[in-house]
Amino acid sequence: MRVGSVEWTCPFCSLLCDGFALASREGALVLDGSDCPRARAGLVAHQSRGQPEAFVDGAVASLEAGLAEAARRLAQWRQPLFGGLGTDLAGVRALFRLALRTGAICDHADGEALAAGLRALQDRGQFHTTLAEIRARADLLVCVGTDAVTHYPEFFRRCGLDRDDTPCRRLVFLGAEPPTQLPAHMETPRIAGSGDLLADLQQLATLVGAATCRHADQELAGLAQALRAARYAVLVWEAAALPRQGALAVEMLHRIVMLLNRETRAASFALGGSDGAATAQQAFTWLSGLPLRTRLQAADPEHDPVRFAGERLLADGAVDGLLWTWSWTPERLPSVADLPRVVLGPPGMGPRLRQAGAARDCVFLPVATPGLNAAGHLFRTDGTVVPLVAARDDALPGVDRVAASLLEALP
Amino acid sequence: MSTRRLRGGRVFDPANGIAGEVRDVVMRDGRIAELDPRAAVDEEIDASGCIVLAGGIDLHSHIGGGKVNLARLLLPRHQCTPSALATGRHYAEMGYTSVFEPAMAASDARQAHLQMGDVPIVDHGAYVMLGNDETLLELLAQGADPQLVRDYVGWVVHATKALGVKVVNPAGISAFKFNQRKLDVDEAHVHWGVTPRQVIRALARAVHDLGLAHPLHIHCSNLGVAGNIASTLATMDALEGLPGHLTHVQFHSYGTEGPHKFSSAALELAEALDAHPNCSIDIGQVLFGQTVTASADTMRQYANVDFASPHKAVLADLDGDSGCGVLPFRYREQSYVNALQWSIGLELFLQVRDPWRVVLTTDHPNGAPFTSYPHLMRLLMNKPFRDEQLARLHPEVAEQSALKHITRELSLEEIATMTRAAPARLLGLRDRGHLGPGAAADVAVYREQGNAEVMFAHAAWVYKDGEPVVRDGEVRASPVGATHFAEVQFDAGVQRLLDARGDAPLGLHRHHAVIGRDELCACCNGGRLFAWACEPRSP
Ligand code: SF4
Repeated sequence: MRVGSVEWTCPFCSLLCDGFALASREGALVLDGSDCPRARAGLVAHQSRGQPEAFVDGAVASLEAGLAEAARRLAQWRQPLFGGLGTDLAGVRALFRLALRTGAICDHADGEALAAGLRALQDRGQFHTTLAEIRARADLLVCVGTDAVTHYPEFFRRCGLDRDDTPCRRLVFLGAEPPTQLPAHMETPRIAGSGDLLADLQQLATLVGAATCRHADQELAGLAQALRAARYAVLVWEAAALPRQGALAVEMLHRIVMLLNRETRAASFALGGSDGAATAQQAFTWLSGLPLRTRLQAADPEHDPVRFAGERLLADGAVDGLLWTWSWTPERLPSVADLPRVVLGPPGMGPRLRQAGAARDCVFLPVATPGLNAAGHLFRTDGTVVPLVAARDDALPGVDRVAASLLEALP
Repeated sequence: MSTRRLRGGRVFDPANGIAGEVRDVVMRDGRIAELDPRAAVDEEIDASGCIVLAGGIDLHSHIGGGKVNLARLLLPRHQCTPSALATGRHYAEMGYTSVFEPAMAASDARQAHLQMGDVPIVDHGAYVMLGNDETLLELLAQGADPQLVRDYVGWVVHATKALGVKVVNPAGISAFKFNQRKLDVDEAHVHWGVTPRQVIRALARAVHDLGLAHPLHIHCSNLGVAGNIASTLATMDALEGLPGHLTHVQFHSYGTEGPHKFSSAALELAEALDAHPNCSIDIGQVLFGQTVTASADTMRQYANVDFASPHKAVLADLDGDSGCGVLPFRYREQSYVNALQWSIGLELFLQVRDPWRVVLTTDHPNGAPFTSYPHLMRLLMNKPFRDEQLARLHPEVAEQSALKHITRELSLEEIATMTRAAPARLLGLRDRGHLGPGAAADVAVYREQGNAEVMFAHAAWVYKDGEPVVRDGEVRASPVGATHFAEVQFDAGVQRLLDARGDAPLGLHRHHAVIGRDELCACCNGGRLFAWACEPRSP
């Protein structure tokens, strides 16, 4: 992929914006057409292109030696955890095979947010929509407990709210501060609510279902009316911004959507699944039949969304080795340093592990970043698989190749 | 590669007029070969006491794509939602070697190919859904030239690497996005003013003119609604003689007779099929037990939300071109409606005279999981067994079902037609579904016995491209399957229309819309790609 062309897809959040250009200025990659801070930070983090170095316990090693040592250690662990899982589809496929062989438990670094959404879905289901549908017909957008754009800066633009022909008339913020920059040509009210999002959603559900409710909050009553009057209302939520007991709030939100659909049209839209989280969740589900937080073993994989939470296993010392995969920002190191680790990360992660005093008992193997220096596929937050192109070539192997080599090298 | 001879099995190969003759089948370098019976081979397999068939072909089974995965998330690890890996293995154990995903949303094509790429052993392909995409509806609303429609359909097939084209509840999924709750064949879409009849006609014409081998694959209007036989017949009529494949017709063959205002219209459909040689069907048989229904028909799935069991549902409006509804469902013997559905499916199988136009399906997982095919085959081949089952059902159905009086038992030859020869022919897979020289050496060998269910559940041997993959019902090798897709010709000028619509057609930037061969190969795990070149037909 030639830099300067428009054909770039940004991999740095699950909106996977595919309409901006990437330009090269003074050796640095910069985004053209958007000032998205998240994308900028992502590009800056990968600016330096130093010599990629593998290491074994902090000592520089060739990639081959690193791979061999990593495979040797991996084979010795009785209960490995495959954490992070920050990679693209090909990487997930390869890690899955490796996990199946080693009996690993698998969870994404943001597995907690994934689990909340999954629990709500499994309990009662949901009615969701996609970016293209929002652009085409949403006349009322309600951001529930999130301003949406702090973590998903281009969201409103992806919803077409900046376009003259947007059908959207109102953009409501429930239980969240509106951002400073708001789309023009539409009302953008804020409903403060009681400060307890779950209670507010409960009341809203009552109001949407029965129209009246004693001691109703006037603003919520107004919102319920607007929702019922809308032709196509969309309730937006963000997995990582949920309060405690997040699954309950999401369930309530789904209930409101289901109630609305009895008379008019409505849907929910989830923001989440960035950094390969949605990709790992989806691919593990089709490969094994079970979502993440599963212990893979050929005969009988075991799923437990609580017991097999990655961070919990690490905190409890319930695993004896960690294979950490994170192809995105070099800063996201494994949360533990006193456990044997194999770390797959961008070249910049190696030095950071050393600086953090986390290089002991650790094999580091540099990998490419999909969408930056490798092609690949990721799931967008609305479920569409988006292809990524390489903006430059750093001659780095992808997670898929490294994981496949590890599998081959297992004794 | 090597040469193998299956010696002394009874061969059923309807495409080549062979019905139970004892003969040898030779596989050489992945193909069926003719060989002197005395010539030496690398391996000789004693198939005496066995029947030998081409590998099974399922032309309608939901094995890949967003809604399949939603079903897995909703009902984890249920036999109706097997993993991709288990799907390939279970199909192979039953002697199936090709399976086709019938409802690929254009915007979800990559996911569908990715998931199918992880289904091992069996070859696969998909039909892309059209007829609820805003681009086509707008073209029809503007009265666009059929040539432009054809080129657009061609581009979508090319972009998504589809083998065929499917329409689900024509214009109805889109209408539901505008809060329309029902759409009859001659009723207008509330926004676009287009009728299902127009959509059917336009798509059938485009599919025909493009030269796609598989006729337009049609999920009719009003799925599951009492009295929907009228819309099914109207849909056949809308084809105006062009080829059409009506899918899971069991769900579309309901009358309104009787005390429950819900009755079998199987005979009407069978008769209509006699009168419409341009039409073929698959059944979508219902079998009892827990399953999950997964469909793009948001309009009809939403209407059934209250019947979901367990009571939950995932629904979605998708990318300006499709929808999705996933509902767990439990078919019960003591439910009048479910029992009648069971009966209607079997009546259809047994009342349609031409087995070349009927394909055996359960619309996996909608009517039942595909793993129940052997049970279904036994029901079709064994009248006393069928009567036994019927007697256990809701008393009114047991009493009144036309099934009681149907004595037909399908023969092995007819089963081989409905599960091999007919689907291969309907898909245009010239070298599949038969055992003639040059055909792909996808072969299933079953140990002959009285109980068809036991026989078909576990093949004694299965060969994929001439190599053994199953022995005594157990998978021994899991090669990557191949992908079948159509290569169509269309006027590249259609790109202008798409450019003008931004990312509307596929919910993706237009630069990423087309799946190239290399990308397809990567999605499909490096499996072989079979491109079927289409000869355009003059209108
Ligand atoms: S919103 Fe997300 S995908 Fe879009 S440019 Fe910003 S970081 Fe990239």
